[in-house]
Amino acid sequence: MSKIITDRRSFLKSTTAAAALVGMPAIVRAQGASRPIKIGLLAPLTGVIAAGGKELVEGFEMYWEQVGKKVGDRAVEIVIEDDASNPDTSLQKARRLVEQGNVDFLFGNILANTGLAVANYVKGTGTPYFIPVIAADDLTQRTRIPNVIRVAGYTASQTARPLADWAYKQGYRKVATISQDYTFGHEQCGGFAQMFTELGGKITQQFWHPLNTADFSPYLGQLANLGVDAVFAMETGADATRFIQQYASFGLKGRIPLMGAMNATDQSVIRTMSNEAEGIVSCAHFAEGSKEPATVKFVADYEKRYQKLPSIYGFSHYSGAMWVAEALKTIKGNVEDRPLFLKTVLATELKDSPLGKTVKLDAYGNPIYDVSIRKVEKRADGKLWNVPITSYPQVSQFWKYDPETYMKQPPYSRDFQGIKS
Amino acid sequence: MADPILSLTNVTVKFGALRAVDSVWMTLEPGERRAVLGPNGAGKTTLFNAITGAILPTTGKIFFDGVDMTNMPPEKRAYLGVARTFQITNLFGQMTVYENMKLAARGLSPSKFSLFGADTLTSEQEERVRSALAASRLNGRENAPVREMSYGEQRQLEVAMALVGTPRLLLLDEPAAGLSPAERGYLAEIIRGLPRDLTVVLIEHDMDLALALVDTVTVMQNGKVIVESDPAGIRTNPLVQEVYLGRPHKAVAADLEGGN
Amino acid sequence: MSALFTSPLRIFWLALLACGMLAPLFLPTYYVSVATQILIFAVLAMSVDVLAGFAGRTPLCHGAIFGTSTYVVLYCAAHAGLPLPLAMLLGVLAATVLAAVFGLLAVRTSGVYFLLLTLALGLIVWGVCLRWTQVTGGENGLRGQLRAQVGLSSRELYAAVLFVVAIVTFAMWRFVRSPFGLTLRGVKDGESRMSSLGYNVPLHLIIAFTASGYFAGIAGALYAVFNDFVSPSTVQLSQSVSGLLMAIVGGIGTLFGAFVGAFLIIALEQAVSMFTERWLMVLGLTFIGIMIFAPEGVLGKARLIMAARKLQK
Repeated sequence: MSKIITDRRSFLKSTTAAAALVGMPAIVRAQGASRPIKIGLLAPLTGVIAAGGKELVEGFEMYWEQVGKKVGDRAVEIVIEDDASNPDTSLQKARRLVEQGNVDFLFGNILANTGLAVANYVKGTGTPYFIPVIAADDLTQRTRIPNVIRVAGYTASQTARPLADWAYKQGYRKVATISQDYTFGHEQCGGFAQMFTELGGKITQQFWHPLNTADFSPYLGQLANLGVDAVFAMETGADATRFIQQYASFGLKGRIPLMGAMNATDQSVIRTMSNEAEGIVSCAHFAEGSKEPATVKFVADYEKRYQKLPSIYGFSHYSGAMWVAEALKTIKGNVEDRPLFLKTVLATELKDSPLGKTVKLDAYGNPIYDVSIRKVEKRADGKLWNVPITSYPQVSQFWKYDPETYMKQPPYSRDFQGIKS
Repeated sequence: MADPILSLTNVTVKFGALRAVDSVWMTLEPGERRAVLGPNGAGKTTLFNAITGAILPTTGKIFFDGVDMTNMPPEKRAYLGVARTFQITNLFGQMTVYENMKLAARGLSPSKFSLFGADTLTSEQEERVRSALAASRLNGRENAPVREMSYGEQRQLEVAMALVGTPRLLLLDEPAAGLSPAERGYLAEIIRGLPRDLTVVLIEHDMDLALALVDTVTVMQNGKVIVESDPAGIRTNPLVQEVYLGRPHKAVAADLEGGN
Repeated sequence: MSALFTSPLRIFWLALLACGMLAPLFLPTYYVSVATQILIFAVLAMSVDVLAGFAGRTPLCHGAIFGTSTYVVLYCAAHAGLPLPLAMLLGVLAATVLAAVFGLLAVRTSGVYFLLLTLALGLIVWGVCLRWTQVTGGENGLRGQLRAQVGLSSRELYAAVLFVVAIVTFAMWRFVRSPFGLTLRGVKDGESRMSSLGYNVPLHLIIAFTASGYFAGIAGALYAVFNDFVSPSTVQLSQSVSGLLMAIVGGIGTLFGAFVGAFLIIALEQAVSMFTERWLMVLGLTFIGIMIFAPEGVLGKARLIMAARKLQK
């Protein structure tokens, strides 16, 4: 937290507080290569997803501290703004960073609506905007914006498909889904449901519940009596914690296998849990329990620095920062040449990420990953983590579909889940 | 005898089990001056509210100049020509006298719906305001803020506002309540000076004042009309003496003789 | 109009005001966008003041009315492909109709019941915007490039908004000083008296509510072009509350106080949020301070001080 304040101060120095208060012109920025590269980081430091926002900043800063806050001979300056988990605030802060802070590019956000608002804004300004957590499918699909790139990010439906394949291979034929009722949920469930039914499985029923559901018993009661082989749960944050706890206390744990979308068993959820979360299978490109040396090192470093295991927010922003830094190195810090910068980011292959494998972007600005099927297990010290049990190589946001054909189908929603009957 | 301007036929107002006004019949001729008297709780004010539309009668009918207005809201009665003052001064305290008069003058005119027009009166409205203020002896006080006026002046303004719409029936709800004897005399003069063709109904606690101003008196008790007579008859009516305020005959007689 | 230019002092103040309004044109674009936002929210706050300050009915649904206009404009212009002027017209119309319906439902209540009823009506709008995903985009909202479509730079947009806001402000000033405006003040002071004078109080309140919604709708339509984005957070309760707060901070019943309130709240938010994430707390404390030391609002207090000075002379 103290780090954030330091950054804020340096930001103020460049404009002067008085100028900001009375609305005088900000000091004209110095030109030339000696000028630091200025990054605007938007993070929800207050509001519903504030805990995730803090981890986002941690991961991002950890990378830049490791490389001494510079790219080549150019210093890097990070300006952090709180998007308050609110799209209007996010948009306003993005404006401030771009128009007043004169940042070279934007980074961050967690909630899809905040990211979509900022993306729409930079569509007009051309400011590069990197979104390692904003998963809304269409940002790198149907309504792609060239200067919005999902470095080290993922689309919502991307990692749910391998899980559907895995589930089918386990012999599951009838699955019910339960999900938070908003776009991120619709998309993750859609990826799973479409894949699973295309393989020949059956989605028995889909439950959609409002965000911040306190009591899951009405859903759990029905899930128990559907006679399904497994349950797929798309949950995030406190909803995920509550769902997993109530699933266990309802006696369903061990009776009906529980699969989770990637966020359901993220560190941000299972960090505070115990036995009830053990054994849940989920899928993601990142698994903190991986034996991959690069991952082991990253997790150890992160744990040393912040006394906790990294969540998807921290990991994604660490890797995202690395991705952009690699691209900047290639062009010798020439961030002013935007087309070159964007082209280079798209062409950059990330070699040294905590994933330990080379990752590259597809032509739409979304990474292609080796996706792990992971299981929540207890580490020797009793902490829960996600351990990979198998892997699906080279999973793109389009799975094995042809991108053009795929994008002709409507985006996933409550009403369209791509289910084949 | 002319057609009545106001007639109440068997009007009853019930509040739950209480019959606040109980089977009242009443007829007023045009230009008549009438006082409604009675002890507290006799139903005078409720009767008044039924005539002005503030509350609706439970049963019975109220006709104004032959028009059934039993269930009309107050603003429609105003259009027919019914105006009233309030027992507790109910002026627009945040405004000046003139602004109060403007609202009163425009009450019956479509110009009140002017959303973006200038806030001025037509010359005809202006004339009515002037004569109403003159009749209430408030000329020259146009720009006084209402909250800074004396209570007596506020009562005068009550009357002026009721007059500006040139009503045919004026209901005065205790116009002299709370005034000093000098102010009462002044107000009595104003009421006496009202045009003779204007029908006036008056509720008043001050016997002297009331009896000196009216042609007919209606005395109520427990919601019922018990006596209807001219002022002279009231002074000598034993029934009135017996029930009025429930006091001994002698005290009531003294009261009616003008002691206060 | 002529009354506006009577004294040299007035002309001086007006000239100063004009300079102040034009100043943002020479500031960096970010401040231009903050200034644009202040103007738009001042109109929202004025529309609240028309009801709260003049008719004595404090509404908590104007954010929803404002936001409805924003939604309609963005939907029509960015998704249905209508020309922007038509879209804005439809946005204002939608807000006006919505306000008329709200008015019909709410005017027979007053005080805290009016407050709660309008709050509930606003929540319904919020719920619809959140759930009617096919049209409203759910929690992700609607996006467009309206400003780019009409090719306005942020300075040009400010100038255009200033122009519209000047006209709307003049119209609202006429409105509160019209015979109807006096009627509203009468309703605020004494409803029973008004009806005995021949005024149909509910009808007047419905008209006032509708007119106020019309003004809020204009602000909402401008906001659509300014923001290019709308989500349920634009129609949520906090939007209605901030419109009301701006009116209160500036001075309820002063109309122009809305500009002071919008400026103070938005500028404060901008300035304080640079130093701390706890800017809402600072804002809250400032608000409490104003309520204690100047409950009549900044402009209301200033007027009182001026009047006291005049008396001393």
